[in-house]
Amino acid sequence: MPAIQVKNLTKTFQTRHKAAGLTASVRALFRPQVSAVEAVRGISFEMEAGELLGFIGPNGAGKSTTIKILTGILFPTSGEASVLGYTPWRQRRQLAYHIGTVFGQRPQLWYHLPAIDTLTLFGKIYELDDRQTKRRIAELAEAFEIQDLLETPVRKLSLGQRMRCEVAASLLHKPKLLLLDEPSIGLDVVAKQHIRDAIREMAARENVGVLLTSHDAGDLEALCKRVIILHHGQIVYQDKVSTLKRSFLTSKLVEVRYAQQVAPDFEIAGTETLKIARERYGVKLRFDTRRTPVESVLARLTEAGDVVDITISDPPLEEVIAAIYAQAERNA
Amino acid sequence: MRELNFLLSLWKTNLASAMEYRAAFLSQAIGMILNDGVYFLVWVLFFDRFKEVRGWELSDMFLVFGIAAGAFGLAGAFFGNAFNLAEIITGGRLDYYLSLPRSVLLHVLASRVVPSGFGDLLYGFLSYFASGQASWGGLGRFILAILLATAIFIAFLILVQSLAFWLGTGGTFTALAVNAIITFAIYPITLFNQAAKVVLFLIVPAAFLGAVPAGFVRAFSWPTLGSMALAAAGFLALALTLFHLGLRRYESGSAIQVEV
Repeated sequence: MPAIQVKNLTKTFQTRHKAAGLTASVRALFRPQVSAVEAVRGISFEMEAGELLGFIGPNGAGKSTTIKILTGILFPTSGEASVLGYTPWRQRRQLAYHIGTVFGQRPQLWYHLPAIDTLTLFGKIYELDDRQTKRRIAELAEAFEIQDLLETPVRKLSLGQRMRCEVAASLLHKPKLLLLDEPSIGLDVVAKQHIRDAIREMAARENVGVLLTSHDAGDLEALCKRVIILHHGQIVYQDKVSTLKRSFLTSKLVEVRYAQQVAPDFEIAGTETLKIARERYGVKLRFDTRRTPVESVLARLTEAGDVVDITISDPPLEEVIAAIYAQAERNA
Repeated sequence: MRELNFLLSLWKTNLASAMEYRAAFLSQAIGMILNDGVYFLVWVLFFDRFKEVRGWELSDMFLVFGIAAGAFGLAGAFFGNAFNLAEIITGGRLDYYLSLPRSVLLHVLASRVVPSGFGDLLYGFLSYFASGQASWGGLGRFILAILLATAIFIAFLILVQSLAFWLGTGGTFTALAVNAIITFAIYPITLFNQAAKVVLFLIVPAAFLGAVPAGFVRAFSWPTLGSMALAAAGFLALALTLFHLGLRRYESGSAIQVEV
């Protein structure tokens, strides 16, 4: 049986509108202007037990709304969903014993207390006995390398450290399914890598399914086997990550800053120069990883001058989605 | 039993969190005792001049004030979020509680300590002992009266603030409701006419926060106890129904938030 089954799920929010100014505020009090916003528009998909599935899309695509419906936080407007055999909005409490959630923008750890206190409280919330809770905390502390952080008030932890504690907390009750909403939001590159590694290892060790939302294609590459891309509340693409990479995540962007001024005709073989910022000694390039390997671009860039700083990134998700649309149109 | 075990752990965590700022905690609690005392001084001066208002004396005022302060304090100390449920609803902060396997309402209410609540609660007992009507039996009735009054008070706060699910706002509404119920609770009920009394019993149940329990503390009576228990059960049932109806309309939110 699939871990998640979703059929024609929709969610419409009512939004109030008000023009600027006091008069408009008073008018809105008596005659509010309400319009409907369709956050999720009839999506259907399945996820197998133990699968690592990525949910990506730009801000406002409906990712978080879908995850919130699947956890039982929101009631859908219409459609069906079953998570581990439960209907989330009707059997929220039963379901909560079997799933773990992490919302990047909504920490569950108590801000003024050390993480160990929240973990102990969670033990009570999930009705584990004290010995079980202690043993599990020790296990998670080792897996997420947070042994030395557990007794520090959460407000004093860095964002990366805190997120590691957050994910550890969500696994306390050995859930079968982990729902992660933007777990890497706001983290630096190293912290992102750290948290991705820990999630991947734990998921493999305990056979936990992971449904992850992100607007960072990097999360997806590192963690997921399959991907669903949402745009304007609809599924625009679903396939294996390897296929997506082969067809759409083919280019990389490079930003380099040199110690000296960049020549106006700067060029690196195998790349396309997007921008030269002479006053900042910087240059922005794009290249196709299928034709030019990353190593050769790096070698050529360092040959061209003294590199002060360099960033390599994936193209923004919006570009990937535009490419998916373009291909769909061509096929049509 | 399971819920009680969970509540005890939650209160322990709450208290630990509040104790991170011990000085603030103590000063708020002590400050509230002084604040209540100064507020009550007006009634002491008033009754010094008039002795009696339609059968009510200063000792009755001590009782009424003791119960209202006690119930207000107990709600704040153990169910502190009863005072900002509307903000939690409109700010999308129910997400946290909805993702855990506990009763949402109980969990959210008990997740905050209002330090000044302990001051109010203590003041309630001081006021009872100062009433000149203290006795062991009376103390037992006083505690029972506070418990029932707290249940009615919290139910009223839930009812008013659950409207936030429909209105989208609710902060100012809450302040108004709290002021209304407390103000009416600590006025001698004999001042009000029949129509006003209907409001005070059935709509803003201030009578159950002051006059009715005060009568019960003075002398045990099954009908009074029954009416308080009935009011508590009725208002709680209404509050739960409205809150859970509202939950279907809950819209969450994407604001960044923390559990303190």
